[in-house]
Amino acid sequence: MSLLSEEELDVMVDRERTKGFPPLNDWDTIAARLREEGIIRDRGRRVVTAGGNWWLRAAAVVMIAIGSAAVGRYTATRLPDQTSVAVATAEPTPARQASNTAPTAGSTDFRSADEAWAVLNRAGAEYQKASAYLAANNSVQNVRADSAPVYQSRLAALDQVMQATHSALNQAPNDPVINQYYLATMGAREATRQQLSAVQTVGAKLKGF
Amino acid sequence: MTMDQLELKRAISGDEAALRRLWTQHSPHIDAVVRRLCGDPDLAADVSQEVWMQIFRALPSYRGDSQFGTWAHRIAVNRTLNALRKVRRVAGIETDIEDDTASVEMDSDRTFLAETIEQAITQLSPGARAVFVLHDVEGYTHGEIGEELGITAGGSKSQLFKARAKLRKLLAHLVDDNSSVATVAGKVNVAPI
Repeated sequence: MSLLSEEELDVMVDRERTKGFPPLNDWDTIAARLREEGIIRDRGRRVVTAGGNWWLRAAAVVMIAIGSAAVGRYTATRLPDQTSVAVATAEPTPARQASNTAPTAGSTDFRSADEAWAVLNRAGAEYQKASAYLAANNSVQNVRADSAPVYQSRLAALDQVMQATHSALNQAPNDPVINQYYLATMGAREATRQQLSAVQTVGAKLKGF
Repeated sequence: MTMDQLELKRAISGDEAALRRLWTQHSPHIDAVVRRLCGDPDLAADVSQEVWMQIFRALPSYRGDSQFGTWAHRIAVNRTLNALRKVRRVAGIETDIEDDTASVEMDSDRTFLAETIEQAITQLSPGARAVFVLHDVEGYTHGEIGEELGITAGGSKSQLFKARAKLRKLLAHLVDDNSSVATVAGKVNVAPI
């Protein structure tokens, strides 16, 4: 058996360097410890009335829909071309079909706003973990070298969304809907960054993070 | 005040949303280095939790001299190596490196075939794994590795040489099987030994 050459090992190392991993812990576990130590200082959560802020809730729903579609496209074996980027026209994918048929136990039977927010927060965390997992395990073999411009465009768009939501957070730092929006965008951005890394030339090295 | 500074100020003041955003943004990189250094996923999960607690505890001391990610990464490496020492997984590093004739390969490794480099890294001794991960994956210099591990730069080079030799053997079948590794072309940018 011949040895792997130094160059071939370097190629594998380079791939490993840009590979993403899902988080080792969930946020709730860390947050619980941070609360115990007094590092997280809970402030009274402002109750968002359904009537006065319906548009914020609608925005959250739209974001989740966009996020789901993005995950669907992300896992598609056929890469999107430049003319079919619009998520509204995306073909059904395994991920989307799964999300359509996934059980949503309790989603229409909330007993309190806190309960609904807890579900929303959990869903957000699951979405991020799923994005990270797919970025780590389901993208490299499906990427094409000529797809870099698609990812670059997406990355630029997500950067703009992140800036907008970040600005919104300056106005309403404790708003949970804007936070969800921001976190979902951040997850999609990270997944896209990893996809882009995978399709860029092997010699290209990411500068910091 | 920039957005990042504002965000850090909120995190330091105990704003959970801001803390969570920091974690979300940086956990892929921080957790990756912890996972690679530990080798064992269960241990890595425990260590990662301690790493993040330490990062958030130390947040008020962050002066902004370097990027937050770089600062947090340093804490992650230090904390992980300390944790590994505690569980005696790195206890043999100095001995391995001082004794250049010591082989990092065990007989059982001759029959082990790794499918990925991540899998192969777990087959390295803790010391060789730490040197390989820090140098080849994370881009540390041998001098920096020496400071982290309490060894000489020469010892680090020696350990890296052995680690790479072992990895080339563990992954050799991928070439024999005509896998994608052999077909990848292009210049590779890896920190010099």
